[in-house]
This record gives sequence, structure tokens and C-alpha cells, in this order.
Amino acid sequence: MRRLSLVVRALGLVLAASIAGPGIPPTMAQTPKAGGTLHIMLREDLSQGFAIHETSTISTVWPAGPCLSNLVIFDPAKKVESLGTVIGELADKWSWQDNYRNLVFFLRKDVKWHDGKPFTSKDVKSTFDMVREAPDAPVKLRINPRKDWYANVEAVETPDPHTVVFRMKRPQPSLLMMLASGYSPVYAAHVPAASYRTGCVGTGPFKLKEWRKGEFVDYVKNPDYFVKGRPYLDALRYVVIVERGTRTAAIQAGQLDAAFPGETSKTTMEQLKKAVPQMVFHEVAQTVTDNIIMNVKKPPFDNLKVRLAVSYAIDRRGLIQASHQGGAVLGAAMLPRPFGVWGMPEKDLLMLPGYGKPDEMKARARKLLAEAGITPDKPLHVEMATRAIAIYVDMASFVINELKQVGIEATLKQVETAQWHSMATRGEYQIGANLTGLGTDDPDANFYENYACGSPRNYSQYCNEEVMKLFDRQSQELDVKKRLEMVVAIQKRLEEDAARPILAQRLDYFAHWPHVKGLVPHHNIYNFPRMQDVWRDK
Amino acid sequence: MKHYIAQRLGIGLVTLVGMSVVIFLLLRLAPGNIVDILFSTGGYVNPSERLAIERELGLDKPIWAQYLDWVRQLAVGNLGKSYRYDLPAWEIIAPLIPVTLELAALSLIISVCLGVPTGVISAVRQDTRLDYALRVFSLAGLSMPSFWLGMVIILGLVSWVGWIPPVTYVRPGENLGLNLIQFILPALAVGYRSSALIMRFTRSSLLEVLREDYVRTAWAKGQTGRVVIWRHALKNAILPVVTVIGIEFAFLIGGLVVTETVFNLPGLARFLVQAILWRDYPIVQNLVMIIAIVVIASNLIVDVLYGILDPRVRYGD
Repeated sequence: MRRLSLVVRALGLVLAASIAGPGIPPTMAQTPKAGGTLHIMLREDLSQGFAIHETSTISTVWPAGPCLSNLVIFDPAKKVESLGTVIGELADKWSWQDNYRNLVFFLRKDVKWHDGKPFTSKDVKSTFDMVREAPDAPVKLRINPRKDWYANVEAVETPDPHTVVFRMKRPQPSLLMMLASGYSPVYAAHVPAASYRTGCVGTGPFKLKEWRKGEFVDYVKNPDYFVKGRPYLDALRYVVIVERGTRTAAIQAGQLDAAFPGETSKTTMEQLKKAVPQMVFHEVAQTVTDNIIMNVKKPPFDNLKVRLAVSYAIDRRGLIQASHQGGAVLGAAMLPRPFGVWGMPEKDLLMLPGYGKPDEMKARARKLLAEAGITPDKPLHVEMATRAIAIYVDMASFVINELKQVGIEATLKQVETAQWHSMATRGEYQIGANLTGLGTDDPDANFYENYACGSPRNYSQYCNEEVMKLFDRQSQELDVKKRLEMVVAIQKRLEEDAARPILAQRLDYFAHWPHVKGLVPHHNIYNFPRMQDVWRDK
Repeated sequence: MKHYIAQRLGIGLVTLVGMSVVIFLLLRLAPGNIVDILFSTGGYVNPSERLAIERELGLDKPIWAQYLDWVRQLAVGNLGKSYRYDLPAWEIIAPLIPVTLELAALSLIISVCLGVPTGVISAVRQDTRLDYALRVFSLAGLSMPSFWLGMVIILGLVSWVGWIPPVTYVRPGENLGLNLIQFILPALAVGYRSSALIMRFTRSSLLEVLREDYVRTAWAKGQTGRVVIWRHALKNAILPVVTVIGIEFAFLIGGLVVTETVFNLPGLARFLVQAILWRDYPIVQNLVMIIAIVVIASNLIVDVLYGILDPRVRYGD
């Protein structure tokens, strides 16, 4: 209870204040040393170059992050992300006006693009009009995965070159969270959006020097960076290493200084720790869940009893041990504490389908199946689809075994990445084992994207008007305590509807050498790519 | 000879045309295309946006029209544009070629230096302990996949000495020493397997020749073992070995996928796999054509070498 009130108080700090201060805080007690190059791991080549607005993958956000800037970001020095940890980046300060209907940003005046042109409010308007697909937007993105984040924005206005107003249809405090995500950089208005697929003109702490396809991305320090004295490093090199074993060997051998977010499993951490005892590891949440998608539009999963039986049948703790070797935690739709602020309290979690004692849960599952006419003599045969990637297949195999124990005979269907999303979006499957990452640990970002009627990423096609109203109500609730209660109730409802049963919240054991300072991994893999505070103690 | 080469070139051209059709069709038979992959990085699919991108990339045209477009471009030396990188395909492919050529050449040198002498020793010392030991050595080389050996080398090195070869490609012009350090281990991993094959061919071919009358005559004339084996026997026994070497080189150009991946070398084969996964048709089609040209050319070179190594071999002029 005491912890809850602390969290609420922290959240309230920003919500209550109409004007929040900017500034990037000092990150460490030691005096930072300037210079040097940091070698950073990259597990695959950049999939869409630096065009963050056209992707939903960490393989773009991580290496493109140092080139770009947001209006606001999550404090790089703090692992937990919330409205209370949002600080200014391109915006000097901001102000909620008209009862949270207008969000006004006052922009820094000392910012220049890497090509020397001045940064103005025109760049902000152009970027967010493009992303929200405003009718008069001058450009259109080829692929636009986060259009829904800005569905509540009515207009982006620029009263002067250093002021931007986001005018909203209704109050939405979460807009600030979404703008602080690694997925929300500001593009230059004078540069074609498509050019970010091959190069990068940003305002970030590092300027792109070279992208050698399939090999590395090189950055050099931006001498005109708007935060004086930053970045500390002279250069960054992101080395593409496709083979996992080689990546681990490269960091172990000291050829890489830091890992890739989400890359270090608990087993890898233990292996590296044994080989290099001085290596530093951070246990952080990825804000990526293992979950089950069931097509609610098609039999047998149009029957709530069958969906619930699936949810009851899967032993979450067993999955965490078997598939993650303990490197994951229990949680529902939102990240649990202490990693996040919106998660369900443990006592509530334990009441959800599938979170209790495995034997009891499986008995409940069998009972529900019997009520739906499925018995051991008449087992249910289904096809379990999953992406043909090891982390997906491991999870799916565990789930198949669990389902078998309650009388559901599932056969594994491995789907190539090229087919997975079109199959899931079109609902051309019965049941699937899936992974979902969130750009920010925020209820709006999660609920509207993954559970809202008509959302292309609502793979289960779950649509409940009553729940939609609950989404809207929590979204405009300004009292943080009340909103938290609503969010917890919604999570409970989603699990009870088996809309997309959550099996585990993944953890990462982010690794770096001890000479790397100021690199603080967040409880969200997408939101700490900037590197402006990182330095080498060597 | 000229007629023969012209004939082989003609056959090569027909093969290339056949290859182009096969690779073009196979790629399109694989489920999904670049647009599906692009959307998978966005985590959703929008049918109208999908159509717009397909139109932009020319993927909405009938397959035969796409094929003709490609052939037309090839005819004027234009390899098209990479779908994934939005850059001319040649700009992407060109830097990959020297990496694979260097690895293949080094692997071949190692395999010949290891395979031919051990094959000769094994044949000359047939059924001795040395022969058995060398045969076991070669059998081990054939049994161990080079990618497995590569991984073992990497893991062994990092565990025992805490070092691995550089994971970022070093061009010979930048630092030749470091470049060789980077290439020697993958070349050893690949070369060992190839040397085993070459050793076995050398041994069996030499054993056959050693039983020939002219070899017996040479021994009877009192010539030294070195002269008999290296000048008389090996010169005749080497022809099938040259064929194997030629085939191995051609195989190495496209077959180094896993070795390049394990040692993180940005070569043709590793890139080809990535391009296939991305359904980056212009890159895949043109890379396969380049590999096919190398295979055809290396076979032709082997045939020409036959004539040089054995003057009795004549081609129908």
C-alpha cells in the first residue's frame, strides 16, 4: 500500500504540475571522461534504415536513436518509466492547458539539424501530421504502425517557430508518454521522409558517418549538439552480428562494449558471468509479453469457455522456468511492479485464470471444456500457429504440451516471418503463440493498439464495446489513483474475457563491460538508445 | 581449342538463361514478398498501403513482365535496385565479392597445400600406420561440417584465450595483417573439409597410376622415388584432382553461408541468405547469377587446364 502511494505520488508530480522543467540530469557520481568509441551490438542490419516511424522493431530504434531527438524523452538515468520521469529534449518545457485538451511545447532555440539548418516548430508539425495522417499532411509514410497513438490529436498548431500546440479531441495525459517513446522522434521537414530509409539527418548527439550494409553503422559526435558538454563519446560503432553465438563471444572477448536490448537471456548472463566475472548486468523488463492469440471470430474460440479453458490450462510459472529459465515474471497486460507502474498487484494477479495452482487450474480448464462439449473421448483438435523463430517455437511447444493435458490436441504450425503478420491481421488462424512489445509502458498505447475494436494489431479480433468505453474513460482520467484502479480493472476484465491471455513478461539481463558508464537500461527495450550520457572509463 | 571454348561459352549462356528462369520463378513461389516483410517490421498489414508499395516496386505486374524487365535491365548492365536498402543492387553486391573471393581462395590454398601432400604420402605409404592416420584425419575432415568446426573454433578461442578474430571486416588495404588474422581461421575451417576430399582423390588416383607400367619402368630404370612420384606419377594422377579443386572453388563461392555467418564476414553467401529472407528479389536474382557465372567459369578453366597439364588431351577443333 505504501509502495502504491509512492508510485501514485511520483506520477502525480507531473500530472499535477501544469509546467514541467526540462534538462538532462547528471547521470553519475564519477566525473565523466570525454572521448573514445563505443562498440555496440546489433543483431541484424537496420531493417528500414533510420526510418523509425516506419517500423516497430528494436533493430531500427536502437541504432537509429543516437541520430535523432524527441520533443520529450524518458529520463535516461531512470530505469522505471512513467509520466514522472519524462524530461524535455527538443522541448524546453511544456504545459497542459484547457483541462488537458491542449499540450503546448516550448521548443529550444539552440537546436540545429545535422545539415546545419535550424530546428523549428515546422519540423514538429510536419512529423506528427505525417504520423497521424492529417488530411493536409505534406507527406505520407509508406508504412505507419503508430497512427493510432495520435488518433485523439485534432490538430498540431505552430503559433510561432518555437511553440507547438497539440490540440486534442478530449483530455489524454498519455500523449506525453507516447511522445517520450523511442518511437517518436522528430524528422526534419526539409528532408524527404523516405530519405530516412537510407540516411539520417537528425538533431541527436551523434551524426551518421557511415552505414556499411550488413556490417556496421558508424556515428561521430555532433559538435553542435544542443546539450552543452554532451555527448561524451567521440564515436559509436554498431556492429551487425547475425549469429547469436558469435555475438556472445564478441562481447565476452571485449570486441563489443555493450549488448543489444533484449538479447541477454538469463542463461547467457550466467554463462558470461562465469567467463567474465567483472561484466556488468542489469536485470530489466523488456516490456515484451508472451501471449496467446485466439481468433474470437471463428469456432472453437468464439466460445468464451474454450478460450478460458486455454488460459486456465497454461501454467505460467512452468513456462517461465521451462522457456525462460526463470528470466521472466508473472504479469497481465501491463508491466508489473517494480518494473512498471500500471501492473496488477500480485494478490489480484493470483485470482486470474491460469495464475493459481497448476492442478487446480487444469481441473477448471477440463470442467470448462466439458461444458463446451469437449471431453477426453471427444478431444478438440486445433492448429497452433507461431512464427518460425526459436523464442516463439519454444513457447508454442510448451503451450501445446499444457493443452494436451486438458484434452486439446494442438499441432504446431510454424509460419515464416513474411507471412506471420498478414496471417494474424487477417485472422487466418485458430490459435497462436505470440510476442508483443510495447513502445511505452502506458495503458493507452497498449489497450488501443492490442485490444481495441478494429485495430490492425488486435490479432485476436476481440471487440467489446463496453471495454472500449472503459479504455476511453481511463484514458481521460486525470486523477492518477483513479486511473490506476481503472487500468487494473480493465486488465482483469481482459484476462477474464481471455482476449489475449498473457503468459509472461520477459526480462533482459543487459550486459556491458565495467568501463561503460552512464548507460542505464530501462524497463523497456525501446527507450534508451540515445547514448548522450554514456562515457568510457578507460 | 577456340572452337571448344566458344562451344562451352554457348552452353554456359544457355545455362545462365535457364538459371535465370528457375531462380526467378522459385523466388516468386516462396510465400510472401518484400512488402509482407516490410509490414512485419511494422507489426501490422494494411491492404491499401500494401498495394501502393507493390505498385511502387513493380510487383503488381504479371510475372512474365517482371522477368522481361529484369532481363532488359541485365542486358544494359543495370542490376536494378535493392528493395530493402533502396539503393542500386550493384552498390550492395560489389563490396561483398572480394570478401567471398578472398575466403574461397584462402580456403582452396589451404585445402590444396594440405590435401595433395597428404594424399601423396598416403598413397606412397599405402596400408602403413601413417596411411591409416592420414585417412582418419581426412575422414574426420569430411565428417565435420565446416560451420560446426567454425563455431567450435570461436567458442574454444573465447573460452581458452578470451580472444576471437575481429568481428568487423578489415579490408586488406586497411591492414593486411589483421585481414589475414581475420580470414585464416574460417579458411582453415573450410579448407580442412575440402582438403579431406582432395586428399582422398589424390590418394586413389595416385594409387591407380602407381600400378601403371610406365611407373614400374621408371622404378626399374633406377630413378629416385621423388622423380618417379612427383614427375611421372603425380603429373598424371592430378587430373581428377584438378577437377575436384575446380568444383570445390565453385562450391565455395556460394557455399560459405554458415562460415561467413559464424565468423561475421560480410560475403556473398551470408548476404544472399539475408536477401532471401527479405525477398529482396533484385539482390537474390543477381547474386545467384553471379554465383552461376563463377561456377561456369571455373568449370571452363578446369577444362582448359586439362589441356595444359596433359598435352594428350585435345579438344575437337
